[in-house]
Amino acid sequence: MGAAVAGYLTFAVVLLGGWELTARLALVDATLLPPLSEVCVILWRFLHDPRFIADLGLTGGEVAVAFLIAAPLAISTGFLLGERLHLAETFNPVVHFILAVPQSIFLPVFILAFGIGFLEKVLFGITHAYFVILVNSFAAVRSIPRPLVAAARVFGATRAQIYTRIYLPAMLPLILTGLRLGMIFCIIGVLLAEMYASRRGIGRLIFTWGEGYQIPQLLAGIVLVSVLTIAVNEAMRLGELHVGRFYARASAA
Amino acid sequence: MPVIEVSKLGKDFSAGRARVRALADVSFSVEEGQFVTLVGPSGCGKSTLLQILAGLIAATSGEARIEGERICAPMPDKIGMVFQDPTLLPWKTALANVEFPLDLRGIDRTARRKRCAALLELVGLSEFADHYPHELSGGMRQRVAIARGLAQDPRLILMDEPFAALDEQTRTRMGHDLLDIWAKTGKTVFFITHSLTEAIYLSDVVLVMSPRPGQVIDTIAIDFPRPREVDIIGSEAFGRIRNRIWHLIAEAPA
Repeated sequence: MGAAVAGYLTFAVVLLGGWELTARLALVDATLLPPLSEVCVILWRFLHDPRFIADLGLTGGEVAVAFLIAAPLAISTGFLLGERLHLAETFNPVVHFILAVPQSIFLPVFILAFGIGFLEKVLFGITHAYFVILVNSFAAVRSIPRPLVAAARVFGATRAQIYTRIYLPAMLPLILTGLRLGMIFCIIGVLLAEMYASRRGIGRLIFTWGEGYQIPQLLAGIVLVSVLTIAVNEAMRLGELHVGRFYARASAA
Repeated sequence: MPVIEVSKLGKDFSAGRARVRALADVSFSVEEGQFVTLVGPSGCGKSTLLQILAGLIAATSGEARIEGERICAPMPDKIGMVFQDPTLLPWKTALANVEFPLDLRGIDRTARRKRCAALLELVGLSEFADHYPHELSGGMRQRVAIARGLAQDPRLILMDEPFAALDEQTRTRMGHDLLDIWAKTGKTVFFITHSLTEAIYLSDVVLVMSPRPGQVIDTIAIDFPRPREVDIIGSEAFGRIRNRIWHLIAEAPA
């Protein structure tokens, strides 16, 4: 844990320090790479601008709605396929076909079908998150040790107890991994849809700044989105490490 | 009334189109308080028989009764079981694992805690109550599993090659301690193993099973006095019984 924190800090210091130095020493044209300090000032101003916050909130809302719809759907389909293997035989190849296709090529189709508003962003986010979460949920069901289930039955567990006392805790680590990856994919989907065609949202702003050579604003947007997504990812990873702590040593041994 | 009564028990499995006969006409009975071991070569259907007794799978023909009651589902209040794999829940401590069967029945926390702490003491693991399975050795995990098998205070304990995955020293030690636990609790034990030495050392009665389709081909009473010491394993009488069982299995029609 301590080593990991040291790793993060070293990375941050090298990256951000290198950026500030490069800009200060004018190694790169200042219009292409403004100093970090300047970008931070702009970012600070953005965070006090209600219109910016509204855009950020909209994107966050799209991601949240997409994720909250995709997650239960994907977990239950994965569970169903894991429990009913004849269904899995039929549908797993389909899932893997779909996983293999870069979903971004369907974006124009989504726009034709659903417009460029909230609905389209949410749907595109859902399709991005759904399959990753599904695959992990399927693996989670298959990973449940069958002898544990047999033992629970011998000790008188009812079907409901087997699901809540054995399935749920045994599946949790892989489910959480799926949710974390699903969240990353969901954010990618929503931002992509915003950058491609949208009137509002942080993705749209970043795209517009890029087109308009507004480099400091562009970098401020990139820094903010990076920090937020890293924070979400790390928070979910901590949850994963917590529930997976019983398995870490077992798999290392 | 015998604790276990098995008569003309048969079990077929379908493997594709073929039907495989795992057990054919198995009959025997186990009296209360006895330590009975079933030995036989790998794949003779020992584990299948145990799964039928545990109520996990149904027999194809014949019947099996526990304390007079026909088995059609698990009987947690009558049967405790110890598996080859300790099957402890990785996310629960040793104590919580022992409590698990009582927890399933909704028995209140303080009552089950007290009883299960005593069971952990019986198997010699009091100090490890708060340890998680991955922090325990293989032998210790199996001790926790034995305590868990005793948690519902059943009269019968089924043991499916519980020490097969342990090294020889640990295995011998576990057998010795199991006899101690058996003497203290007065349970009936039905034990399965492919180790002839283990079977003879532990048991009052050894049931010898033939290769597939499994059948009980002989019932051998072991009358070494108890409490037994590990030293009897080297004795001449012990060797004679071992050879006799070995020939029975080797010469059975395969």
